[in-house]
Amino acid sequence: MSPVLDAKDQELKTVSRKLRKMLNGQPVVVKNAAHLHGLAAGLKHGEVVIEGHSGDYLGVLNDGATITVKGDAGKYLADNMTRGRVLVEGNADYGAGQYCYGGTVVVKGNAGDFTATMNKGATIIIGGDVGSEAGTYMLAGDLVIVGDAGANLGNYLIRGNIYVGGEWASLGHNTRLEPLTEEDVHKLEGYFAEHGIQADAHGFHKLAPLSAKPFYK
Amino acid sequence: MPVIGTFCVSVDKDVCVNAQSPGKCATCVEVCPYGVYEIDAQGQVHVNNYNTCVGCRICAEFCPANAIRINPAESEYLSRYPWTFGQIEEIHHKSLTGGYLLRGFGTAGPLPHFDGIVVVPSQLASESPRDKYREECQMEVVIGEDTAEEPITLRYPILFPAMSYGALSREAKLALAIGAAKTGIATNTGEGGVVPEEPYYANGYADPERKEQKWAPGGYLVIQWSTGRWGVSADYVNAGDAVEIKIGQGAKPGMGGHLLGAKVTEEIAAVRGIPVGSDALSPCRYYDVLSFEDMKKMVAFLRDVTDYKKPILMKLGPSRPYDDVRMAAEAGVDAISIDGICGGTGASPDVVTQGVGIPTIACIPPAVRALKDLGLHRKVKLIALGGIRNGLDAFKALAMGADAVGFGTAAEIAMGCRACMACHKGNCPYGITSQKPELRARLDPEEVGQRLANFVQATAEEIKILTMLSGHDDIRDLSEEDLRAVDINTAAITGLKMIGYERRLPWWENGHSS
Ligand SMILES: Cc1cc2nc3c(=O)[nH]c(=O)nc-3n(C[C@H](O)[C@H](O)[C@H](O)COP(=O)(O)O)c2cc1C
Repeated sequence: MSPVLDAKDQELKTVSRKLRKMLNGQPVVVKNAAHLHGLAAGLKHGEVVIEGHSGDYLGVLNDGATITVKGDAGKYLADNMTRGRVLVEGNADYGAGQYCYGGTVVVKGNAGDFTATMNKGATIIIGGDVGSEAGTYMLAGDLVIVGDAGANLGNYLIRGNIYVGGEWASLGHNTRLEPLTEEDVHKLEGYFAEHGIQADAHGFHKLAPLSAKPFYK
Repeated sequence: MPVIGTFCVSVDKDVCVNAQSPGKCATCVEVCPYGVYEIDAQGQVHVNNYNTCVGCRICAEFCPANAIRINPAESEYLSRYPWTFGQIEEIHHKSLTGGYLLRGFGTAGPLPHFDGIVVVPSQLASESPRDKYREECQMEVVIGEDTAEEPITLRYPILFPAMSYGALSREAKLALAIGAAKTGIATNTGEGGVVPEEPYYANGYADPERKEQKWAPGGYLVIQWSTGRWGVSADYVNAGDAVEIKIGQGAKPGMGGHLLGAKVTEEIAAVRGIPVGSDALSPCRYYDVLSFEDMKKMVAFLRDVTDYKKPILMKLGPSRPYDDVRMAAEAGVDAISIDGICGGTGASPDVVTQGVGIPTIACIPPAVRALKDLGLHRKVKLIALGGIRNGLDAFKALAMGADAVGFGTAAEIAMGCRACMACHKGNCPYGITSQKPELRARLDPEEVGQRLANFVQATAEEIKILTMLSGHDDIRDLSEEDLRAVDINTAAITGLKMIGYERRLPWWENGHSS
């Protein structure tokens, strides 16, 4: 049995300090944590399972831990992560995977607007649909959207790749469609197998930047 | 595209070593990064192109014979106001390139500033003066006293504000760290990531293991957290002694940082975690803050990531100081920096530097009022930035209610800068704002760190003199009563009593609020 931390009516500081102490090898289950924003921040190791929903900024600055949310995640999931994995079984709100330098974010359900904004190297996989402005000002990394995307997909894309399985409302500035290579298919199939996602990689579209310097002539 | 003949370069051939014996000495040719001088096949040095001179005076400084004079040729243009040479330069630039003008340094041109204020000494009617030579004066400033487990104690009410690695050279960053360590004050990473040596240098150690302190008493490093999040990780946030959330800065409030691809060398790219040569343009706002509630959550998670040990600061540009400072305090930070319109920059659009924001002296009174209204004045520390040049300006800011001041441009000048205002060109001949190895090699961090320490110490002495002659032995006791406005404009802006009238202007008396 994994140790359980009940966060009901408790403050971030209390829960966070307890959690850090409990992380010694075994996964720690945190219950009733939807009111806590910025939980499991900056962890370097360990495994945290959030039972139910999480608050905003879950796993911000994550640097090596594996964090799983059984329900839905709030806004800014895994904000500014550098290493590690953040997995959500439900949906994620606005801005999942913003400012990440590395690591993996997987959302099984849908994700909100501005997903993966300024991604600088993480792999961000959304099993369902994403809102508008996904992948804005991405500088590196992969954004994989299995379902549909909203307006302005990949706005001001600078580097990195966006893969979409479904349709998109409109493309943002500085993006173009690129043929999917064998390597891409291989990579996507790897992601799908690893995270138990049912999708045919061959049917995906790939977006790449038009220019690495969209701001200046 | 400079204006023809902005500077007159004159070389006194009677003393110039090269003029006396061609082939000897070409120091001016070597040190000028703008190609003003040239050496011909006979080894003779000529002034090749006056028009590229930016007036940095590096040639005059290095000339072994003291033969060079650089004079601004401005007078002709001054008489043509409003078509000053700056305006002409700007129009030429736009007409030739189709782009707006980006400029380094700060606002050029007169705006209300500290010069409209004088210090009131104590005589019979007030507390007797203290004796600067024989009595003590409390100058320390503690940030995060009751709110952070490891507060920082600045020895003097002074710090070096955020100046990013990228805008500044690595050598300049390290000099600032050494200067801070030698004087017990704080330096700041700026928004471009941390130079690996910066954290332990700032604490006074030359080795990462921090075995033996080299620069006593040791200072602090503030880690800046900004909208671009360049090089930011949990380790970065924990690398220093405090974290500063940047909302804006005086030179470009409402805009993000600018670092153009040309300055993103391999080293800078590594620290910022982005590909070499890509523009690092910080967004103008946080993509991960949609509301004020989110901003509070950001303060809270930064406290959590730093294990509630490190003070959290916030930095504001000059906009609506009362409301902005009030909200910053309500967001739960330990100190708030507020920058005035004349605050320095590595690069900003010229129109923004010149015309956006309000002067520093207009920021401080509303900021103080906001903190007083919340009962947080002197608890949440207020740091005044923007155009602070010496102990006199610093004293005035403190008496208006700030707890500390920052020296950005003044620190650059203490490092050797001659205010040529061409930082954005990346050719700083003193190696301060350049990434070119040959120019950076001119800046020895230890030597320049000592200059910064000298400057801080001298300024602190000035603050002490002024504090004590106005009857105080603790900077926390300074108040508006120690100042007077010398003109009606300054009195109107600041709410200080006006000389002669000896009262605040009437509308201030009637319970003015912003
Ligand atoms: C070269 C340079 C780089 C700067 N970089 C930053 C930065 O990265 N982040 C920031 O908040 N402010 C930055 N600033 C602004 C300073 O922190 C500070 O607000 C300003 O210099 C204060 O005004 P002063 O120069 O008149 O003292 C920079 C200023 C200069 C001169």
